[in-house]
Amino acid sequence: MGTELFSKMRTKKIFKQFGDHISKGQIRYLSAGHLDMLERNRQDVKFSDATTGKTYFDGFSSAGSFNTGRRNTRIIEALCNSLHEYDMGTPLLLSRSKIEFARKLVDLAPGDLNKIVFTGSGADSIEAAIKLAKGATGREEIISMDKAYHGHSGFSLSAGGKDYYKALFQPLMPGFRLAPFGNFEAIKKLASMKTAAILIEPIQGEGGIHVGASKYLQNLRQLCDDLGIVLIFDEIQTGFGRTGRIWFSEYSGVVPDVMALAKSIGGGVYPNAAIVYRDIPKLTEFVNENPFFHTSSGGGTNIACRISSEVIDELLEKQLWKNAEKMGKRLNKGLTEIMLQHPESILEVRGKGLMIGIEYRHEFMGMLMADSLSKSSIFAAYSGNAPQVMRFMLPLTVTEKEIDDFLKKFRKAVTIQGYYLFILRPLIKIPIFRKWVNDPNNLISISSFLRKFGF
Amino acid sequence: MNKLKNQINTDDSNVPREDLYEEAKVLFSEGLVQHLKAKGLDVIECQSEGIYINDINGNRFIDCYSAASTYNLGRKNKTVVDSLKSAAKETDCGNFILVSEEKAELSNKLANFIDGDLSCVLFTVVRGEAMDAACKLARGYTGKTGLISVDGGWYGHTGFAMGLSERIDNDRYGRLIPDQSIVEFNNIKAAKKSIENNTAAFILEPLQVEKGCRLVDKDYLLELKEVCEHYGALLIFDETQTGFGRTGHKFVKDYYGVDPDIMLFGEAITTGLFPMTGMVFTPIVKSFFDIHPLIHLCTFGGHDVGCRVACKTLDVYEQICPWIQSNETGSLLLDHLRNIQSLYPDLIRSVSGLGLVNAISFTNEELAQLFCMTARKKGFIVLQGLVARESVVFRPPLTITHDELNRLMELISSTMKAINNSEILI
Repeated sequence: MGTELFSKMRTKKIFKQFGDHISKGQIRYLSAGHLDMLERNRQDVKFSDATTGKTYFDGFSSAGSFNTGRRNTRIIEALCNSLHEYDMGTPLLLSRSKIEFARKLVDLAPGDLNKIVFTGSGADSIEAAIKLAKGATGREEIISMDKAYHGHSGFSLSAGGKDYYKALFQPLMPGFRLAPFGNFEAIKKLASMKTAAILIEPIQGEGGIHVGASKYLQNLRQLCDDLGIVLIFDEIQTGFGRTGRIWFSEYSGVVPDVMALAKSIGGGVYPNAAIVYRDIPKLTEFVNENPFFHTSSGGGTNIACRISSEVIDELLEKQLWKNAEKMGKRLNKGLTEIMLQHPESILEVRGKGLMIGIEYRHEFMGMLMADSLSKSSIFAAYSGNAPQVMRFMLPLTVTEKEIDDFLKKFRKAVTIQGYYLFILRPLIKIPIFRKWVNDPNNLISISSFLRKFGF
Repeated sequence: MNKLKNQINTDDSNVPREDLYEEAKVLFSEGLVQHLKAKGLDVIECQSEGIYINDINGNRFIDCYSAASTYNLGRKNKTVVDSLKSAAKETDCGNFILVSEEKAELSNKLANFIDGDLSCVLFTVVRGEAMDAACKLARGYTGKTGLISVDGGWYGHTGFAMGLSERIDNDRYGRLIPDQSIVEFNNIKAAKKSIENNTAAFILEPLQVEKGCRLVDKDYLLELKEVCEHYGALLIFDETQTGFGRTGHKFVKDYYGVDPDIMLFGEAITTGLFPMTGMVFTPIVKSFFDIHPLIHLCTFGGHDVGCRVACKTLDVYEQICPWIQSNETGSLLLDHLRNIQSLYPDLIRSVSGLGLVNAISFTNEELAQLFCMTARKKGFIVLQGLVARESVVFRPPLTITHDELNRLMELISSTMKAINNSEILI
């Protein structure tokens, strides 16, 4: 971890290579929100920009991948130690590493979620979950939610709730239906004996931090029981302590039939993912008869399982979900105070534990706030499927002092945002302008233009 | 809250293997354990090294599977292991939406490594996802919907990949992605007939590893490329099992001298130390990702630790050029397999392959299974093809030495002899 800053030439070369070989559009998008930093000195809840040396709070945590903190020493050691014994391993063969982690995970999982299938990523977990539901029930239809985000591969994308990610790749799989999140009656109307699964993020992440009410989730459970439907919870972002409980499902007491996991399971240093499912005849028999219904060469590898075991030990020993609950309350309270002082900017603060969403008054404010926050030393991303909502998902290791510092910086950003609003407020009363400015592509152009003048 | 269940102490090397299998039945499935035992894969892996898979009982087996052509530089290549250690100490996965030096450097290195115009990249984690991303890029870039592949293909377990693969279970999950079709392998007339104005891509593995390592003809690929160009369809090669020197060439496309528009690669990019796959494509096709940034996201794709490991692996590839070795050793192995075929014409229908990815196709599936079971007893692990179950595929690490290869060939001979004498055949 060097302290010497990158020269401008080195940074320029990095961006040129990235633009030439990966995506120029991504650079344009990131630059517009002052998010064109290069992460260095990644530690706990912060990182610094390699070019400017400026330190940032990591308010995004790669969508909840750093629950145990960035570059957690214990987890890095587990990775290095695993290499004395293991590489990725042979996908089909068993190992102690795989069995040990599988045991730890099912012991940690709620209720009778006692069985496991390893996968390689969040999307891959959703692929496995949907296939399990379809295969086990012999039914085709899947109900998922408007604005849902489950990944970008075939099954998971078909279940997604945002057009931007789907429209250019149609036709996707038939039999996928969308219902408004939180509206039980709407789901009830769609559900039938043809429904294989209801797939839901119990807190919608990309969709704008919508918290599933306990009653709603309990009703879904009952509906699934009545109609023989497989209930799938996508806890890829909410799992492993993020919401103040180890699993978000604990708040409602609802045990899904299948739970999809990824992100933090890899300790932020190595990919891993899994689904756990209930040991009930319908599901268990299907997997027994089709043990390779879903395999992933890069999932449940020997190195990864060692790391994931350590992640669970770290989570349990430090009881990180308790810190998430406490710090989440502190952050939520502070943000709510700021909201009350700035009703022109902030409409609502919501969430659970350290998964908090701030809804701004207008869609265009997501990107502008990302920009203002970046200037105030906070890296945060607005929700892909609801740009007016910003997600804060700090590592669960965050301290009280850091929360207070974070709030101070956030307050500063809201003030900067106020200047933008001062100019924009009269204009957004004009419907055409409002529509224009809410289009992210137009914002990118404005922002890129403003940056040329040092904004 | 947490259930109390029987914990097994997995640090205790005295835990009997059967206890581990019982635990695996409970955690995974009885079907899995039954399958492993039936196929001779009841090996509890530990300390695999070089060309060997080792087990917890101190047995070692020559690895003729290499995690489906992943371990090109052998198990736990020291230089690459060291790079993983140092990367873990300096970086982490990174926020996936941000630019990083690691991603930039790997993308540049990969562009230099791959001959031709495939200078752009998208990183993914599992092989199926790479195929799904390729299909999406083809649809997105061309604005067309048709996706055509050939019979005998195997591309992974995700949504787009399944529909293009020859799988017996494709009818178990309802209707898959529409506008996907499969035509006859290596039949240019069938390909020409299927490609039309709405074709987004024609997709194939020029060497079908899971289908007895059969290869398409060069003329077929040349003509296919022309037809695709004529209709504005993209040509996609899946090289997840044939890339990074496996066939005696950097990529099998180099053997044919035909460049696709998109090419998939597998975990050989990290020689099995880090889960990373992806696709490379031409700058023209990449324009789609310039116009539509962040339209295909993957949290673990382009993982900064993984990028460093991949960079180091590419360095080693450049340094030792394992394709030269695999070309030579592969010829020896293929000759040996052909000799064996001539000895057992009633048991073996064909032998096919290139470099160090070769297959024996038996006259029936039971023989192939028996071969794998017997092989395991003799000291090497080999698997049946996923599509052609009557085939067994030999894909050892490319670093296998002449002496090790000679030993392997002796073991193959002795396995065939044992099968030939087996009571099952009487």
